[in-house]
Amino acid sequence: MASVEISGLRKLYGDVVALSDISISIPSGTFYTLLGPSGCGKTTLLRTIAGFHQQSAGRITIDGSFIEHLPAHRRDVAMVFQDYAVFPHLSVRDNVAFGLKQRRIPAKEITRQVEEVLEVVELGKFVDRMPHELSGGQQQRVGLARAIVVRPKVLLMDEPLSNLDARLRVDLRSELRRIQRDLGITTIYVTHDQEEALAMSDVVCVMEGGTIQQAATPLDIYLRPSNRFVASFVGANNFLQVGNFKGESVLKCCGCSVSQHLPADPADPVVCALRPEDISVKVGEDPSSLLNTEISIPVQIKEVSFVGREMEIFATTDNGEALKAVGRSDSKVIALPIDSRAWFCVETKNLSFFKDSELGERV
Amino acid sequence: MAFSFPRHRPDFWTWITISIVAVLCILLILPILRVLTLGFVDPDTGSLTLGNFIEVLTRNYYLNGLKNTLFVGALGTLGACLIGIPLAFFTTRFIIRGKTLISTLAILVLVSPPFISAYAWIMMMGSNGVITNFFGGIGINIPTIYGAHGIILVFSLKFFPFIFLMTQTALNAVNKSFEDAAENLGCSPWQRFVKVTLPLVFPAVSTGAIICFVLSIADFGTPAILGRGFRTLSTIALSAYRSELGGPPTMAVTVSIMMMAISMIALVAQRRILANRRYASSLTNLPVAVKLSGWKNAAVHFFSHGIVFLAMLPSAVVVYTSFLKTKGPVFVGGFGLESYDRIWRDAPDAIYNSFLFAIIAVTFITITSGLISYVIVRRDTKAAAAIDFLMMVPYLVPGVVMAIGFVTVFRNGMPNFFGPAVLLVMIYFIRRLPYGVRSTTSSLRQIKPSLEEAAVNLGATPLGAFVKITVPLIFPGIVVGALMSFITAINELSSTLILYDAGTITMPVKVYVAVLDGEFGLAAALSTILLLSTGACVYAVFRFAENRNSAFI
Repeated sequence: MASVEISGLRKLYGDVVALSDISISIPSGTFYTLLGPSGCGKTTLLRTIAGFHQQSAGRITIDGSFIEHLPAHRRDVAMVFQDYAVFPHLSVRDNVAFGLKQRRIPAKEITRQVEEVLEVVELGKFVDRMPHELSGGQQQRVGLARAIVVRPKVLLMDEPLSNLDARLRVDLRSELRRIQRDLGITTIYVTHDQEEALAMSDVVCVMEGGTIQQAATPLDIYLRPSNRFVASFVGANNFLQVGNFKGESVLKCCGCSVSQHLPADPADPVVCALRPEDISVKVGEDPSSLLNTEISIPVQIKEVSFVGREMEIFATTDNGEALKAVGRSDSKVIALPIDSRAWFCVETKNLSFFKDSELGERV
Repeated sequence: MAFSFPRHRPDFWTWITISIVAVLCILLILPILRVLTLGFVDPDTGSLTLGNFIEVLTRNYYLNGLKNTLFVGALGTLGACLIGIPLAFFTTRFIIRGKTLISTLAILVLVSPPFISAYAWIMMMGSNGVITNFFGGIGINIPTIYGAHGIILVFSLKFFPFIFLMTQTALNAVNKSFEDAAENLGCSPWQRFVKVTLPLVFPAVSTGAIICFVLSIADFGTPAILGRGFRTLSTIALSAYRSELGGPPTMAVTVSIMMMAISMIALVAQRRILANRRYASSLTNLPVAVKLSGWKNAAVHFFSHGIVFLAMLPSAVVVYTSFLKTKGPVFVGGFGLESYDRIWRDAPDAIYNSFLFAIIAVTFITITSGLISYVIVRRDTKAAAAIDFLMMVPYLVPGVVMAIGFVTVFRNGMPNFFGPAVLLVMIYFIRRLPYGVRSTTSSLRQIKPSLEEAAVNLGATPLGAFVKITVPLIFPGIVVGALMSFITAINELSSTLILYDAGTITMPVKVYVAVLDGEFGLAAALSTILLLSTGACVYAVFRFAENRNSAFI
């Protein structure tokens, strides 16, 4: 158990900036997830903490002591690898014992700890198996056991579930979380799977372009994304242009008034974000006159696809902006012919606004 | 906020990289540079000059040597292609009985030293050879093996396995759909072979051919034994070196540079030709072998087995000869072990030296090639790329040239520490190092780097992770590399001839001297020992290598 403090961390490959000015603070016992698309720098950051990459600048402390100058083998952070990295020539027992032997722990004690940790990851029966006799999921459990048995100050996980098939991934996900909670071990977890990140983490840190976009609880990340990138990367989102009409901010596509407090500078355009699941589809008369807390956007239906539990409705607004809505399957809506007219209705409290650029901040 | 500036933290592998570069500079770059510079220096005045090259390119003695070298090199390579390509095609596209035997024998031919087969051909077709005498007895005078045609024959039969094995691998990787498509579009089987299959395997064929050509240029034993006045650059370089003893070996060096230049030009030309021919193909449709019948089947079998039989014949003759009864240098009829008895009296030191030097060199090669492979595969630095490139150089530099470089660097004014024994071990080390590196490198490329990272992450030092994780995982590759470098080190002739003295004679040198003295029985017995050790190593390689054929080429 230890807290991690990273300040001003930078990593350059020649002229390419892989990490720029990363500063994060992870309280002891936190499950901290680095989330982002490939190439965003999340793995580079994790490997820099592990000591496999050397930072170009910046400091890393664990429990208040600086570690960025230490070679990888003296950092006391244990890593679980995407490709398991279970030593193929060693048995499960010897794999798990590897780190303990490096720490010169007495043989008897090693045997006890190995058996104990294998019970924790439910591999007790497999002590004397060789890795090639294990399934992918079991190998990753060995990888996890091998990492936690040395009681590292920090556990690092580099997309540990991404090589497993979908069902197993979900099972192992909750098991990982349970073990992490039981041990109370500070964990830094890298993934590109947002569902995984939201389901497991105490804190999700969304990265893009080598910088941190937002670090917050899963709920905050989803409900209050701090910029347009986070809003579009985590969950799905529609973006609509916002214009200024007679001093009032309105959606350009329909003229609906959206908010009184948006900046009205035309040189600094704003977009409105609405999540597909917040949209309800209505047919017939303009419903907006009924409720003041809701806006309704007239659209032309382009495609309705029924995917079982829910349906996805693709439509375009009158000025050609594409919109997607997701909702419980409704036979009336599914029966709508292509190019028919409908209304997309959203409660105004569910609208968010961002500056209109790739990383445009929340307004 | 405290800022730490980028610092270079030299870790264990940085020190290893520096040491490797230092060793390669001393043992590889320095001798070659010495050879290069000496060629441009006037031996009498010590001033810079192009005179040496003008002399080589104008005097008939050298000019003929150059022409001869190119002639036997080109025709030997052509002969190897004419044997190797059909053999590869037959064994991959037709069902042939004893296919494994054919590849095994081809590999044995590949690793046995050329000078042994040259001398076996003398026993068969020399002035007093078995076949020559047989035809002489019935009144037919057949030409002897001496001269250019003999050298070309030996080169063709000796070097065809390179073409055969490489083309075979490539043919096995040609997507059958290409050939089916050609047939479907109306090609006859022959057109299909010439227009589709052959171009697809051209990169492999040309790589095999370049190896044959470079080895033919560099080969010393064959022209020295079979030449009889037909001189090539390698024999000229050695005689020049001997006649220049005491002074700077200027002419030997100049001839050496010519040899290196030919190899380099050939390699660069091949790379240029290959540059635009990269055929990637997915292997969805594996080629299949068809069963022939009737005379075609018989002809294909006869050719395939006949070729490897002919190529193995010299080794068989040598082994057979070693058990003939001799009295002094004369064969007196019947069988006996006199030749082996003579080894114990005349040449026990040759056997001892050969094994001693080879084993010491291979020990160093094994350790070094493990470290070098790690640097080449795992470290993405300029130094690693440079080491990777340098590992190709020993293949291109003929033994005679390397030895002359060694003499000029380590003999002049150096302490006695660099006696002949030390020089021999060093030259075996540097010339055979690439065999070890090649094998361990290809093993290491299959090991995920995350395994070593996991070990370091769990607290192992870089060296500890290498020893406990990497080495056990690449062990088969290390063993194959050690065996390959042992085979090539123990059969080394050309550079040994320049560096050895009375106390450091080796088996190949003893065989060479014995052949020149007409002591065929002794030569046969020693050659048999060499062939046996080579064969044992090949057997061990088969046991350890994941892919039998690719371990050798």
